[in-house]
Amino acid sequence: MAQAQVPVTVLTGYLGAGKTTLLNRILSEQHGKKYAVIVNEFGELGIDNDLVVNADEEVFEMNNGCICCTVRGDLIRIIEGLMKRKDRFDGILVETTGLADPGPVAQTFFTDDEVKARTRLDAIVTVVDAKHFLGQLEQGDEAEEQVAFADVILLNKTDLVSADELKKVEDKIRSINPFARLHRTQKSQVELGAILDKGAFDLKRILEFEPDFLEHGHDHDHEEEVKSVAFSADRPVDPDKFQKWMGALLQLRGGDIFRSKGVLAIDGAPRRYVYQGVHMMMDSDWGSPWKESEKRSSKLVFIGRNLDGDNLKRGFEDCLK
Amino acid sequence: MKLDLANPAWRQTLPPARTVAADAPVAACAFSRDGATAAFALGDGSVRSIPADIAVSAPAPNPPVHGGAVLALVGDPAGDGFISGGDDGRLLRLGADGAATELVNQKGKWVEHLAAHRTGAIAAAIGKNAFVIKDGEVREFGPHQSTVADLDFSKDGSRIACAHYGGVTVWSIGQVTLPPRRFAWRGSHVALRWSTDGKFIATGTQENDIHVWRMAQATDMRMQGYPAKVKSLSWTADARFLYTSAQPVFTAWPFSGKGPEGKPPLQFGEEGAGLLAVVAAHPAAEFVAGGYDSGELQLGDIKTRRSVVLRMADGSAITCLAWSPDGYKLAVGNEGGALLVVDLKR
Repeated sequence: MAQAQVPVTVLTGYLGAGKTTLLNRILSEQHGKKYAVIVNEFGELGIDNDLVVNADEEVFEMNNGCICCTVRGDLIRIIEGLMKRKDRFDGILVETTGLADPGPVAQTFFTDDEVKARTRLDAIVTVVDAKHFLGQLEQGDEAEEQVAFADVILLNKTDLVSADELKKVEDKIRSINPFARLHRTQKSQVELGAILDKGAFDLKRILEFEPDFLEHGHDHDHEEEVKSVAFSADRPVDPDKFQKWMGALLQLRGGDIFRSKGVLAIDGAPRRYVYQGVHMMMDSDWGSPWKESEKRSSKLVFIGRNLDGDNLKRGFEDCLK
Repeated sequence: MKLDLANPAWRQTLPPARTVAADAPVAACAFSRDGATAAFALGDGSVRSIPADIAVSAPAPNPPVHGGAVLALVGDPAGDGFISGGDDGRLLRLGADGAATELVNQKGKWVEHLAAHRTGAIAAAIGKNAFVIKDGEVREFGPHQSTVADLDFSKDGSRIACAHYGGVTVWSIGQVTLPPRRFAWRGSHVALRWSTDGKFIATGTQENDIHVWRMAQATDMRMQGYPAKVKSLSWTADARFLYTSAQPVFTAWPFSGKGPEGKPPLQFGEEGAGLLAVVAAHPAAEFVAGGYDSGELQLGDIKTRRSVVLRMADGSAITCLAWSPDGYKLAVGNEGGALLVVDLKR
């Protein structure tokens, strides 16, 4: 029974941010779609759905010499098990615990062949509590990392803060992750089209990523903080040099680089080269062809901790023709 | 038992088989202890039973007994019915008449793997624990470091081995409580079979390797080079070979003499379409059945290093295989809901 890959949406966010409210909102909306929901054992509220699976987040290290290569063993098992059911579903929603690192969830979809064959990671959606986010940043790394990994951010509970406070929170979020789509919400109210079927990990759709935040990462003040750095170049990229640089970089710094994405103009190639990575894992492919009239430029972005923007910039520039 | 694969009949016609189409994926299949019935665990919550005699017409589908999908099934070692586990957290004893008795109910968890021993004992992997049902008594072993991914009985049925993240734990299931024995190896172990002579425990890992522990010395070995996870392992009746899935041909590691260290595995037979998804060594003789992820089905003979195709690829992965106790019939299920009983007597 060959079937299309089932899209998986990962819902993350700190304790009390509004994940479960969002989840129930998705499930209760009249969309005629059927979702399997994988929730963590310590779920905050009841979930109203026929197919809820309680997961105990089992983070496994892969025994392949790659230390940052961790996966969610329970997800591998559950996805395999769900495929044994007669009833099919249109999507899978995975809710993580408030203190979860989204890395292992994302990496599961890059690593396990069977999971890759059956499902595709559609997007990581992070719900942020506008009132408590800045305080949560002081509590540990989780709140920051959840924003860093996000494709879509729901800046929730905006009714509980002043316009000034909201701007501060939004600026902070943008300094961590400028390429996620941000929606201001109250009580997690959002159009489902804003969070479902985003194809955020689809290489064919990476071209949509907006480059308007480029050239931001030059401050050296708080290197330990999670932030993003982005570069662009009009000169073509030397593919051999780039591969060598990127390979070494991810090998060495993959633990600190949460996500990376790029669209490159390769010297002599008629098509765009697109790639994206989660920690050390990377997917790449040839994208759409350049048009005659089009200016061929390359863009790439890294989100992570301890990123040395100048060093990365030099590394990238060395790859240019 | 004699199955002469050199007989040209094997290559001229497919052996007689009965195929029943079910409307749900098949997760597991088994024969009853008396060999009269083959049963299939289905994704609609039912266990479909079919007479092993392919001349007898199949009865109507059975109603669902589990809430979601049936995930595991074994023949009842203490009767002529079956034992089933589902994603509704229930472990059921299904009588030969179809009547269901609940043995365990762990709502919110899945009963994913079962093992049965001829002494009548049943073991079930449910969440992080293993449940053993023996002489009407239910005992729980665990919790393990992670969800129990597979389990098996020792040859004499006095112990069970549980695969999990970080290795294997062996529990003594007798009346005297002994501390568990742990066999550690980094990573996640996803399949487990205890050798038929009790001397080895083999696991398949998340990293596409096989790990084998020698019980006596607690030494271990690793076999690498598979292109996919080895989720099906099967020891021959004489424990001389361990068959493994995830190869395009039958692949058997030799365990007689000094063991497989430093030796390549024995590979034989016709190259099938795709990779072997399930392997099942014959209960007595030197044959092996293999179901591919393409739907192809083969029967191999390690003595003559030959294999014959029993069923052509149809794109629907084979998910389970079971030999009848007399070794003349083979039950086969696939993802597309095909239930087969193949009669190999020629």
